[in-house]
This record gives sequence, C-alpha cells and structure tokens, in this order.
Amino acid sequence: MAKRDLIIRIGGEGGEGVISSGDFIAAACARAGLDVYTFKTFPAEIKGGYAMYQVRASAERVYNQGDTFDVLCVFNGEAFEVNKSQMRPGTAVVYDYPGGDFEPGELPPGVFGYPIPMTQAAKDMKSIRSKNMVALGALSVLFNIHESTLVGALTKKFGKKGKEVLDFNLQGFAKGKELAAKLTKQDPWRLADVQDPKDIIVIAGNDAVGLGAVMGGLEFFSAYPITPATEIAKYVATHLPKRGNHLIQAEDEIASISQVIGASYAGLKSMTATSGPGLALMSEMLGMASMSETPVMVVDVQRGGPSTGLPTKHEQSDLFLAIHGAHGDAPRVVLSVEDVHDCVDMTIEALNLAEEYQCPVILLSDGSLAFSTQTIPAPKPASYTIVNRRRWDGQGTYKRYEFTPDHISPMADPGTPNAMHIATGLEHGETGAPNWRPENHWAMHEKRFNKLNRIVDTYRPTEIDGSGDADVGVITWGSTIGVVREAVQRLRAEGLKVKGFYPKLMWPMPVQQYEAFAATCKKILVPEVNYQGQLAHFIRAETSIKPIRFNICGGLPFTPAMIVAKVKELI
Amino acid sequence: MSTAALHQVEMKPKEYKSEVSVVWCPGCGHHGILNAIYRALSELGIDPTKMMSISGIGCSSRTPYFIKSYKMHTLHGRAGAVATGAQIARPDLVVMVTGGDGDGFSIGGGHMPHMARKNVDMTYVLYDNGIYGLTKGQYSPTSRPELKAYTTPYGGPDTPMDPLLYMLTYGATYVAQAFAGKPKVCADLIKGAIEHRGFSYVNIFSQCTSFNHIDTVEYYRDLVEEVPTGHDVTDLGAAMALARRPNGKAPMGLLYQDKRPTLVDRLQEIVTKVGGHPDYDLNKIIDLSRP
Repeated sequence: MAKRDLIIRIGGEGGEGVISSGDFIAAACARAGLDVYTFKTFPAEIKGGYAMYQVRASAERVYNQGDTFDVLCVFNGEAFEVNKSQMRPGTAVVYDYPGGDFEPGELPPGVFGYPIPMTQAAKDMKSIRSKNMVALGALSVLFNIHESTLVGALTKKFGKKGKEVLDFNLQGFAKGKELAAKLTKQDPWRLADVQDPKDIIVIAGNDAVGLGAVMGGLEFFSAYPITPATEIAKYVATHLPKRGNHLIQAEDEIASISQVIGASYAGLKSMTATSGPGLALMSEMLGMASMSETPVMVVDVQRGGPSTGLPTKHEQSDLFLAIHGAHGDAPRVVLSVEDVHDCVDMTIEALNLAEEYQCPVILLSDGSLAFSTQTIPAPKPASYTIVNRRRWDGQGTYKRYEFTPDHISPMADPGTPNAMHIATGLEHGETGAPNWRPENHWAMHEKRFNKLNRIVDTYRPTEIDGSGDADVGVITWGSTIGVVREAVQRLRAEGLKVKGFYPKLMWPMPVQQYEAFAATCKKILVPEVNYQGQLAHFIRAETSIKPIRFNICGGLPFTPAMIVAKVKELI
Repeated sequence: MSTAALHQVEMKPKEYKSEVSVVWCPGCGHHGILNAIYRALSELGIDPTKMMSISGIGCSSRTPYFIKSYKMHTLHGRAGAVATGAQIARPDLVVMVTGGDGDGFSIGGGHMPHMARKNVDMTYVLYDNGIYGLTKGQYSPTSRPELKAYTTPYGGPDTPMDPLLYMLTYGATYVAQAFAGKPKVCADLIKGAIEHRGFSYVNIFSQCTSFNHIDTVEYYRDLVEEVPTGHDVTDLGAAMALARRPNGKAPMGLLYQDKRPTLVDRLQEIVTKVGGHPDYDLNKIIDLSRP
C-alpha cells in the first residue's frame, strides 16, 4: 500500500516549545483540510525532561499515531538520542546545529540530516523563545507544510497578544525558512497538498469529553485534579457556567462522587472525571449509586498502574476495576472510547444511559487519547438525542423503587409534592424503607441487574470490520481499535483474511455478538495495552471463545506494524 | 438558608414524625435531639417536601428515617459531601445533615473543613456521644482517654479532638453547642442554624447509655455552661477562647456567627460573569475549537 500520510515528530526539553510547535503543525494541517492524529508524551516532572509531540496527517482518514516518524525535528541532544534507534533508512532528521547542545556525529545509514542552527538564529534575534519558530519555518520549507495555513494558525494564536508579538514570531518563522532554503532536499517526504476545506474542529480527547458533557446537558460536575484527566474539568469549568450550571472542585475523589450522587438525587444530570486511582477511591460510592439507583457518570482516563504507576503514560488496565470495582453485586454500565470523535459522542451517550438506567455509567478513555489532538467533524448539537431520567407523573401512590415491567422506577425530584422518599444504601423494599427479608434482597438484585439486560439489545451493535470468514479475528477496545483498523486494512490489502470486532459497550457484555463474530474466525486475537489481558479475561469468562492474548505494557500504544506482524504469525 | 422555604406550613412538632419507628435505646440522648429537630422544623413552618435530610452511617445517622422530608441515607462519613452536591442542585430547599462524632470527624473528617470553608448553605447537627454506638462501643475521636471501650480495654491512647475549635478554625459561619438534656436550647440553636445563611454547625452532647459509661447525663449536665451574656458572636477570637473551656466548662449556646457569601452565591457570580443561561448557543463553544 503506498504511503500517503506524513508523520512528523518533534522532540526536546519540556518548556522549549515542543508542544506549541506540534499544535501549530496540527492546526495548519487541519486548516489545509487534512486529517490529523497527534500523539504526545510528557515528562512526569513539573519542568524539563523529554517531551515529544508527533503529528500524523493525511488527505485520507488516519486512525492512529502510526508506526514511527518519517520526519524528526529535535531541539536538543537528548531528543536525538532518545529517537535514534527508531531512525530508518529514509528518515529525515532536522536538528539544532551548529550552536545547539550537541553534535549528531554520523547519522545512521540512509538517514537524511538537515542541520538548522535554531538556537543560534534565536540568539541572533535576542530571544531564545523563538527557537521553535525557526524550526517551524524550516519544516515548512522542507516538508511542504503549507505556509499559508501555518501562518494562519500562528496569527490566530499570537494575534491576540498584539502585533509586536505576532511580528516577532513571524520573523523567527521567516528566518527558519531562509535557513532551510539553503539546504538541498534529499528525502521524499512531503505533506499532502491542501484539500477542500472541511467542517471540522481540532480538539484533544479530554477537551472532547468536556465538550460532550456540555452538549449532553450536563448540569453539575465535581472535579478533583488527577493526571491525565484534569483537562476535562478545565474545559467544563470554562464552558459549563455559560449554560448556567456549575463545576466545583472537591477535597478528594470520594467527595467528588459523593457530591455527584447528592446532586443527581436532587435532580441534576451529574458527572465527574478521574483516572484509575480516583476510580478506586470512588468504588464504595459507586456501589451506593447502584444500590440507590442514582444516575451518575464517571469518566476514567486510564493511565499506567497500579498505585501511582506511570501517571503520564498510556495503559488500558482499568477494565477490571470499572466492571467490578465495588463490594457486593453492584451493577453498572461500562463504555469505552476509540478516538476523539467518540469522546464527544460517547460522553453524551454515557450521560444518557446513566439517566435512562439510573445507575453508574463508567466511560473509559485512556492516556493516549487524553492529549491526542484530532480533526473531527464539527458536532451538530441538534443531531444528538438527549435523554433525561424518567420522572414520576404524579399519579397514584409514589414508590421510589416500585417494581415495573422494565425494572426502572420513576424518580421524583426533592420538592415534588406527595413523593417524599429516601435514597438509601441499605437494602430496601419498594418504598425505600429498609427491608432485610431474603426474598426482597433477591428480588431487588434482579431488578437492579435485569434493568440493564435491555442495553445489550438496544445499544448500537458492535462494529464488525470486514465480512465473510477470516483466519484471524481481532477483538480490541479503546484507542487500540484505531491501530487495529489500520492493521486490518493493510493485511487485507495483502490478500489475508482478517476481520476486526470493536466493542464500545464493555459491560454488560454483548455475548451473542462476540459469539457470532468468533464463529466466522479461525482464531481470535485480543491485543490490549495491559499486562493481564483484561478484556481477554472477560471474553474467556463470559463466552465460549478462547482468545489469544497479545499484551504490551510499556506505557506506549500499539503500532499498526506490531498488530500486522502478530496476525501474520498466527496465519 | 433561603427564606423561601420558611413559614410555608403550620405543622405541630409531632407531625414531622415519619411512619418509621425510632430504633434508639431507651435513655439515649438522641431522642431529645430528634424532638428538638421536630420542634425547630415546626416553629419555622418548614414544608417537609422542601427539605432534604441527609446522613451517613451510625446511630444518629438513622435520623432521616424518622423525619418527614426528602432524604438520603448514604455511606459512612460521606453525608456532608453528598449534601454539598444536593445543596448546589437545590439551593431553594432546606438541607440538614445529621450524624455522629465518628461519622463526621473520623471517617468523614476529610470533608468537614471543606463544607465549612466553602460555606455550603446547610445545617449540620452532630450528635456527639464520644462513642461508636452502632458497632457496639468503640472509642471515637471525641472519646476521653479514660474511656474503657471495646477496642480500648485499658483506656484510650488518643487525645480527643474539639469539634468546636475545628469548625471555628475552618470557617463555619454558625457554630453552636448544646446538650441533649436541654431540648429547648437544642431546638432554639437548630432553628437558628436553619435560618442562618451558610454553613451551620451544631454540636450536641448526647449520652450513650449502652456503651459510654463515663459520659453520662450527669457528666454532661455538669460539663456544660451557658455562653455568658455579653459574648460577642461576631468575635472569632472570643468564640475560640470560649471553646477552649477556660474554666473547664463546655460552652452551651451560639458561639459564633458570620455573614459570608455561600458556595452557591459564589458559583452564581461566575455564571453572571460569563453571561450564562440555559439557552447559551452550544455552537459558540464548538466554534472555539475550529483551527
């Protein structure tokens, strides 16, 4: 398959403009009508440390961060060394030389080098902070990053800070162009040409969750800071008050989920967002939400665990916790997102499901999506269905936990006449009064579990990628789906019989859909970024499928090439 | 609290009793506190449908079951945090938390400072009996070291905390103390707490006749002394000095009251600042993410 995309990686010291350079390139590509998928890693330190930003752009859809970079731009020696092992024949490397902090020496065989004296040029302009602008100018010339769209992005950002700041940055940009123009282009890499403009936005996963929350009719958010989820709270704190609603920051995650339950009981559509450690702290209260049938929505942006683990790195290892994290039999719904577009849509769906089924809904995102900026179609608010809880119609005698045909009992907001009731963590009868009779506990368990059965049939069916029989069927979840999509495409282009199965509803598990898919595949492969094979575990436990586990847990996502190689091993 | 919920109905104290029978031991101080709550609600004419009564776990946390109102019986230590969310959702309603010293200051101790400093507009009635009663008699954060209890057969190793100093320090805007054996005093202070706009804390000594054999009715009766006439309730330093029991007596009455914007006042200011309203065009927010 001919490669039509371009992957540019920028590396340097945190605080040197690595992130902003990446953002500018991403914005420029988006303005040029290209599809963009970015990938970032941050140091866990407050300042300094190696930071990396990778932009993958194409005139066609991009589903993941790609295998490795085509173009590397390094601001210092550390970034050069960190990435040296990934350079291949054909890789283009732009580096700060002379005048930077290192001499690259001999480049690996077949690697094209472009020395640009970024630091020196910046010093000549009497501002070391313009180093990244010099780099951008050089990249623009060398790799066809469209000047008009790049300057447009710079103008949007710096224009707000006044003409002087803008002109200064544009000078740095021009200097970089001038320096690069003196070099001879040797490599084949160039960004796709400008496409027709598309109705898109460029947004990172965490911001997209925040946008989904605001669009989904959220009325209350309680936050507690945690990496890598905090940006969700920042987004919501900025925009939710515009809709007349509130976000507060609590003293800990236990308080956050408690406040969410209190606000939800009192009638508001409510949520919080956290990462694994926070979700662990919320476990007891999620059990109370199950028991008291209170709608709550929790987003877990997964990171490397256990304990403090790898706070800034990617992992998909909270599935066990999300599905079973509470004492007792505590039913809930667990969803997972594939990409940034999903972050908007599925946040709305998660809020809807919590309201509809009056239970906790946990939405799993992950560290690689949290900061991944992607181009997505501009959401159209009117096209979304917003679900609110079933409320009592005022007829007859109100019983909060009344047995009903679909096991869902209408709620009544405090203040409603003739509907006073208690929401309680104690086992209770239909009115909410404590009830310890064995048959009651059993019947109430059935009510709380059976009300969720319907979701398996009514939630959109799991997407199946491909048709007919396959030698290997790949089942995966979360952001690994985007990697598998591309791998499956490549394998099929080679004539191999491979299919994909991409569940978003993680729990309750659509068992029949898994079985039906597996029946068409000779082998089932389950790649996951965790040590134990958590989805594979549930597949093994809940279905008759015997999946082949494929696990990595190095704090980084899979690449399509890794999946391709693994599938080929199995055929 | 919001005056809109006051003087809505005319109900006698006993009409605030729910259909659930009270489960406390005979002689327990909690009966007196519950009666004081009924009396305060009656005197304020609060419509039960406009009240949320919220608790955690413990003997005193059963209180909501016995009061006609909307109510939540939540988890050990979490009542205040749950109530904070409920209060933000419905600032027009009366929010009352009832709980014990273990629930509030041990497992729930992380939440108490924040309700106070945020000035959440609610009333927190803490039934302070210096013991865990529901689990049959373990020492609590307010137990005296002399107490030989279930897990302290030789007496306790810990210095008891002082709830009043704690709440004064963290910025509660209404701080009062009483003894369950003085139901009229309790009722008046609870009434004042409900009327107060902001976070009201009422600490009520309550004898546990089953498990705390040293903090008896007689002990508390002798311990408390009315706040001296002439005490300035706006003087934080004076309130703290009284709370420290200068003459060995625990002050009974209102120690401190302050006017400060509530959490919801401040949140509403933010909404006003950004011109927020429910019909704000979502497309304006979406457009901010165009490249």
